[in-house]
Amino acid sequence: MKINFVVSVALLFLGLTGLSSCEDEVSKMATAETEKDIIGGWKVVQLTRNGEDLSERLDLSGYRIEFNSDGTYTLADQLPFIADAPGTYKLSDPQYPFALILTPEGVQEDVVARFQFPVVQGKRQLSLSFSLGCESNTYQFNFERENQN
Amino acid sequence: MKKATRTLLYIYLAVGLFVTLFLVHCGLTALTVTVPEQATVNERVTFVMHSGAEPRIEEPGTYTTQLLAGIMVPKSWNARENAVLTFTSPKGNGVMRMIPDAEIEPVSGLSWHQAAKKMFGIGPNLVDDFEWIVYRSTQSYTFRNNEDIGFDVKVECNVGAENMLVRLGFYVGSSIENLRPEDTDYKKVAFSQVFEVTGGEGDLIDFVNPQLATVQPVRTLDNDIITLTFDAGVTHTVLDNQEDVYVTIRCFDEDGLLIDEINEQTDKTRLRSIGGKKFLLDFWPRGYFNVERDQRIARLEYFYTDASGTLRVGYGNTEEPFSYTFRCQ
Repeated sequence: MKINFVVSVALLFLGLTGLSSCEDEVSKMATAETEKDIIGGWKVVQLTRNGEDLSERLDLSGYRIEFNSDGTYTLADQLPFIADAPGTYKLSDPQYPFALILTPEGVQEDVVARFQFPVVQGKRQLSLSFSLGCESNTYQFNFERENQN
Repeated sequence: MKKATRTLLYIYLAVGLFVTLFLVHCGLTALTVTVPEQATVNERVTFVMHSGAEPRIEEPGTYTTQLLAGIMVPKSWNARENAVLTFTSPKGNGVMRMIPDAEIEPVSGLSWHQAAKKMFGIGPNLVDDFEWIVYRSTQSYTFRNNEDIGFDVKVECNVGAENMLVRLGFYVGSSIENLRPEDTDYKKVAFSQVFEVTGGEGDLIDFVNPQLATVQPVRTLDNDIITLTFDAGVTHTVLDNQEDVYVTIRCFDEDGLLIDEINEQTDKTRLRSIGGKKFLLDFWPRGYFNVERDQRIARLEYFYTDASGTLRVGYGNTEEPFSYTFRCQ
């Protein structure tokens, strides 16, 4: 009985030591959300209109956009998009963005797309939602990086 | 110890069986609707949903919930702004409030309105320009066993300014059950007979009858991606036995001046067959016609043709072209 008591106390002590060391490790870990890096070339892999998937019905090969490190973006020709000219871009928040804000050249007002940055089947996607013409029609463009394997 | 565990197991099984029986035997009665045959544009019309509750609950248990009701109407009616839903029942009368867009239906993860659209669709209508709007009673109601009641939900709504033929959608449900796909007891849906709106300017929008040709979405601008459809099964045309159907199309500006014409039988103008004698073509008008940045396409005129371009079908199977005007209202 006495031995059991001693073993229990020893185990408790070891456990507490472990916990305290864990605490130290946890406190050293970086918990800040990383900034969203969208720099690079992106191609559209899925396109929906009002929830209807048009990906198989449209030729998406030319649907691409490039975000440059200097804060500018360029669009492929013939891309139905909220902007019809190159310009500058920014995210609504570097860590927790909910919108991509574009300022096309020659346009006074910014244009805004709803932004999501999910990982789908192991690949990072850039998902933008917006209206192109009538507000009642909503499009979702899901992009993948062009050099992503 | 073993005996106690076994007893507990039996209790769990008994409770499970009770819950299952309760779920199977409790619910709403079939939904029927009273909808007038027609109305004139902008008229305020009343629709009535009739349903009931049949609570089968083991005494002394009770079932407390809020009434849900939904309507599916053309977006152009602007029902979110002007529809008013009230209900009458032996347990009390009340007004229903539209569920906020920000409130998520737990099963689908969508707003209640989007979840209803996803679950119930557009029913027997053929063209989608509808919205589901879901309302909830402001009060909760508690039911006891066999407390069967009937209730009516009255919908007052303006019918918009467009001539149309449409079948409207209606839904009643129980707030605590959400929109579970497998549930057939707590959500009841019905679509009306054909409802006609007359007296307005402009073409009749026919949501109900098969159309030789449609453009979807119903409301677009030239920067939208649009879908032209051709349904060769609607009537006999000169294209009856054609495997490939093409479009020959012209676009005009707001002054009615011709911007461009595409009259060729190539991959660019060939419609995809989707089976059932139906064909479609998706395109982005601004890119399709390669218009200048400051140009706006206001209207399209088009025919469907065979591979030679000599056999062609127009509006109402005539020599007049199909016409489509870009607009949001």
